[in-house]
Amino acid sequence: MSSRTTKLLFMLPALIVLAVFFVYPIALTFYYSFTDFTGVGTPEYAGLKNYDRIMSRSRYPEALKVTILFTLIVVTVQTLAGLFIATLLQRLPAVRNFARAALFTPAMMSFVIVGYLWQFIYSPFNGGLNALLTSVGLESLTRAWLGDPSTALFAIAIAHVWMFTGYTTAIFLAGYANIPGDIEEAGKLEGANSLQRFWYLELPLLAPSVTINVMLSTIGTLKTFELPFIMTKGGPDGATRTLSLEIIENLFGAYKFGFASSLSIVMLVIVIIVAFVQNKFLRGREDNMS
Amino acid sequence: MTKHNIRTSIGNIFVLLLVFVMLVPVIYMILMSFRTGEEIAADPLGMPSGLFLGNYINTLESMNYFRSVANSVGITLSVTVIVAFVGSLAAYPLARSTNAWGRAFIMLVALGLATPAFVTITPIYVIFRQVGLLDNYVGIILAFTALNLPLAVFFYVGFIGAIPRDLEEAAKLDNCTDFQVFWHVIRPLLGPATATLSLFVMLMVWNDFTYPLLLLTDPDKFTVMISVYRFVGNHNIEPDLLFPAAVLGSLPLLIIFVIFQRRIVSGVTAGAVK
Repeated sequence: MSSRTTKLLFMLPALIVLAVFFVYPIALTFYYSFTDFTGVGTPEYAGLKNYDRIMSRSRYPEALKVTILFTLIVVTVQTLAGLFIATLLQRLPAVRNFARAALFTPAMMSFVIVGYLWQFIYSPFNGGLNALLTSVGLESLTRAWLGDPSTALFAIAIAHVWMFTGYTTAIFLAGYANIPGDIEEAGKLEGANSLQRFWYLELPLLAPSVTINVMLSTIGTLKTFELPFIMTKGGPDGATRTLSLEIIENLFGAYKFGFASSLSIVMLVIVIIVAFVQNKFLRGREDNMS
Repeated sequence: MTKHNIRTSIGNIFVLLLVFVMLVPVIYMILMSFRTGEEIAADPLGMPSGLFLGNYINTLESMNYFRSVANSVGITLSVTVIVAFVGSLAAYPLARSTNAWGRAFIMLVALGLATPAFVTITPIYVIFRQVGLLDNYVGIILAFTALNLPLAVFFYVGFIGAIPRDLEEAAKLDNCTDFQVFWHVIRPLLGPATATLSLFVMLMVWNDFTYPLLLLTDPDKFTVMISVYRFVGNHNIEPDLLFPAAVLGSLPLLIIFVIFQRRIVSGVTAGAVK
């Protein structure tokens, strides 16, 4: 690379795309959030009205609570399940590659299809889950899984975890592949059993994979709206109305562009704070362990 | 058999059972797609009584399936070509030296990677409406290009960084311009990176439904997932239409996945780890 101008010319197309599709829109969203823009005409300045509304109505803190609960369930279950399966597969080379690919299959499917499929599985009338429970004599447990506020969010969380556990498993397996073989050998020679090796040798060395998995699934789950959008539309009684779903419905159901923008800004700030805190905490944990 | 062997066998059987349980929803989807609505209502867990294709015929007739597949494939190809060119072009100087400007650019790319779609989607919708890119192939291709570009830049920076510089030095001694070096020396080596990248692009174009849902309204321009979404939604989730639509919607990607599974799993995992 000879000159600074040449470098700039190489980066120019990408710069334009990033400016037009990220920088300018983020600035515009910030601006809209202080207006009552409805998508037509010129936006009227509305001061902090939109943010006042978010703070003063219980609907939005409720949506935030749903989002956080959903994220906590998904991240915890998915990380633990992925870690458990990867640890098993690490010890079972004969089935490792097959199982890794097979478990990854749901991640190849679209939220649209996963949403409809599970919606039908949970369906109260001819759905697979209730039929299965009845056939094994657990008829008392059958219910409208997505129609009951106490189970709807968990039901969606299970569909989400089902979709991405194979992905988490694959990342943990990549972490296992980075553990030097002689460390494992030394552990075996010292007479450590499988559980001891996992707890004292492998888990500390997997710290970077834990960081990646937790951060990816947290950020991905915080901003997801697809499964509730398809499976419940936020119902019953707001039990599955996440903040992202609220944004999409304000945008394209109600055309409240200004208000939706202020919700997006709140969401963006939350995502940034969570990512920052997690990064600091988990990286710190990595340093302590190595 | 030793104790160790017995434990390994039990473990293998357990893993295979676990895989089976995880795949039950996919198997269920395929089996149900061959049953009529009445059969499913009468016995939700029953097996198909034969290879009943009526559902598929109905679905294919009313879903505009092949048109949507052609749209998805065309958009994927266009996005891949643009993203590969723009991304590798920007990545080349970044991979060779980083100064303050380069680092600022990397920060910008990271911002693009981390921004949730709904933060930028309202302005993009408004801008597209102003310049006539709503309901337009060019518009949706540009939007998907922007979504994939940050990842592409990171991808190529890592890949080009691992290419030895000797070749470039030789070309420069022959008085090639920087662009000629890029085009004749670097670009031909990018094949494997571009192949993996194209899998990412394909996954996103095929499966994403936020962007096409908002930017496309003409059924002739729909991608596959929007067709599935509109089709199933319009029919009140009836199983004899839902399941064949779901199978048709996922089948092409699942076939590609079976063929390229090792490359896809390691590519997606590596993309996450970097």
